[in-house]
Amino acid sequence: MKSRQILLFLALAAATFVSLIPVLWAILTSFKQPVDAFTIPPTLVFSPTAEFHYQIWFEKGFWTFLINSLVIAVSTVCISVPIGTMAAYALSRIETPQTRLLLMAILAVRMFPHMLLALPFFVMASMLKLFDTYAIMIMALVAINQPFTIWLMRSFLVDVPRELDEAACIDGCNVWQTFVKVIVPAVRPGIVVTSLFSLLLAYNEFLFALVLTGAKTKTLPVAISEYGGEDITYWSLSAAGAVGIMLPILLFMVFAQRHLIRGLTMGAVKG
Amino acid sequence: MNTHRGLVWFLAPSLLVLVAMLVYPLGYALYLSLFDYYLPSNAPKFIGLGNYLALLGEARFWGAVYNTFVIVVASVALEFCLGLVLAVGLYKLRFGAHGLMVVLFVPHIITPVVAALFLRWIFVGQWGLIDATFWPLGIFTPDWLGDPIWAKVTVVLADAWKATPFMMLVLYAGLQSLDQSLIEAATVDGANGRQLLFRVVLPLMRPIILFVVSIRIMDAFRFFDTIYVLTGGGPGTATETLTLYTYSVGFSRLEVGKASALGVVTLLIVLGLISAFVSFLYRRERGRF
Repeated sequence: MKSRQILLFLALAAATFVSLIPVLWAILTSFKQPVDAFTIPPTLVFSPTAEFHYQIWFEKGFWTFLINSLVIAVSTVCISVPIGTMAAYALSRIETPQTRLLLMAILAVRMFPHMLLALPFFVMASMLKLFDTYAIMIMALVAINQPFTIWLMRSFLVDVPRELDEAACIDGCNVWQTFVKVIVPAVRPGIVVTSLFSLLLAYNEFLFALVLTGAKTKTLPVAISEYGGEDITYWSLSAAGAVGIMLPILLFMVFAQRHLIRGLTMGAVKG
Repeated sequence: MNTHRGLVWFLAPSLLVLVAMLVYPLGYALYLSLFDYYLPSNAPKFIGLGNYLALLGEARFWGAVYNTFVIVVASVALEFCLGLVLAVGLYKLRFGAHGLMVVLFVPHIITPVVAALFLRWIFVGQWGLIDATFWPLGIFTPDWLGDPIWAKVTVVLADAWKATPFMMLVLYAGLQSLDQSLIEAATVDGANGRQLLFRVVLPLMRPIILFVVSIRIMDAFRFFDTIYVLTGGGPGTATETLTLYTYSVGFSRLEVGKASALGVVTLLIVLGLISAFVSFLYRRERGRF
């Protein structure tokens, strides 16, 4: 029985390693000189250099794209999570056929092909002269993230006992005071988890950024996609960029690892 | 009921955003789909269902439909099988499962564009990790990105690499929430491992399987970032899905009317597929949904 457990562990560890090969390979490439980056057969022994990490972030200006990415992602979360939490609170407390229908409608929005929204956004942005501004990108991401935020926050809010609301009501709080002074503190861990996942979604967003951002507001995913071209002499450089973009996400994993299931299924499956 | 006074207003900000940024644009897209509208010309011409009729008679459209179905079905099926194997493995493992799961999960949450680049450096001809490793050994690998059929395979593998961890995680959560007494009862009754899996565990997990497969089908239809970076729809149009075709019509050719019609068609297909899938599983065992 024990040896079977060890075999099982080894098999799963092997699968894990295979699935990580592309990531590990990119990390290695990012520290290689081009001459080491494309050798046949591939080489594992080389003298590492951080030159390309420096080059892509400072000389090629990726730090400005990082700032764009952060401004957009953080603003999105700062708008999306508060209004989503308010809506989720109402939807967790009022149980009528109308609110149930609304919840399902919000869920249905999640399955929209994003391309269908990107087109009118693009046309509207060009008409309103909002193309390549933070505002249009943030508004688009807030809207896209609302279904996710509402459903995930609602899954945390239904776990908050209604006796808390009632007690606050008896103590003379109005709805707003109840929400701010009683409910929000009670559901703080849920807000943190929801914010982390919203941040991840906004940081990773590609299609809307590709369509709505230009020279002034370009985000990291769009910038790196332009470096992935056929030219293999750029490999070390774009690998350095790609690896750098991945780092904050690995940090995210450390904080969010216990909440992955709940976060990624919008609260539908509580891990 | 008194606690609810004024609570309805809590919905207002969120609904305002949803209406302004989702419902209105969707309506606008429906409206645009009725026009022959080349964006720079700024002179939309009403043609009714003309865009839709034109699409139905177009080989490239049907090619995109075909590619989308092949890629969605193949990748979701592959992800489900791999995800289930990994989930059962982790479920049976009595040590280190959490650590392995977190590491296995990395491909799923890294930025899709970055993930696609990582895979490009593996699959790209001659210099990619696979070719560079196997060619010196005298093993000639397929032309991963350049051959119309292998490019589809590569795209499916890429999607599987990114989405299998999600399947695994949800199925693992499903396994953990199973009623242990039912499994024990089946074991006592002499069920072997295979019977246990197919006759007891999987039927019990039907709701969660339904959930995760529906989510994946929806997402696979939106699958854009990875293909865009990995093959750009090529070679030719071999991996051009509906999403990529819409992108090239809308944003390269700027025919926003026709592109909107394509988007609407995609939405209808997704809605149809999901409801068919749900009702199929629901009808097979009414009440066990």
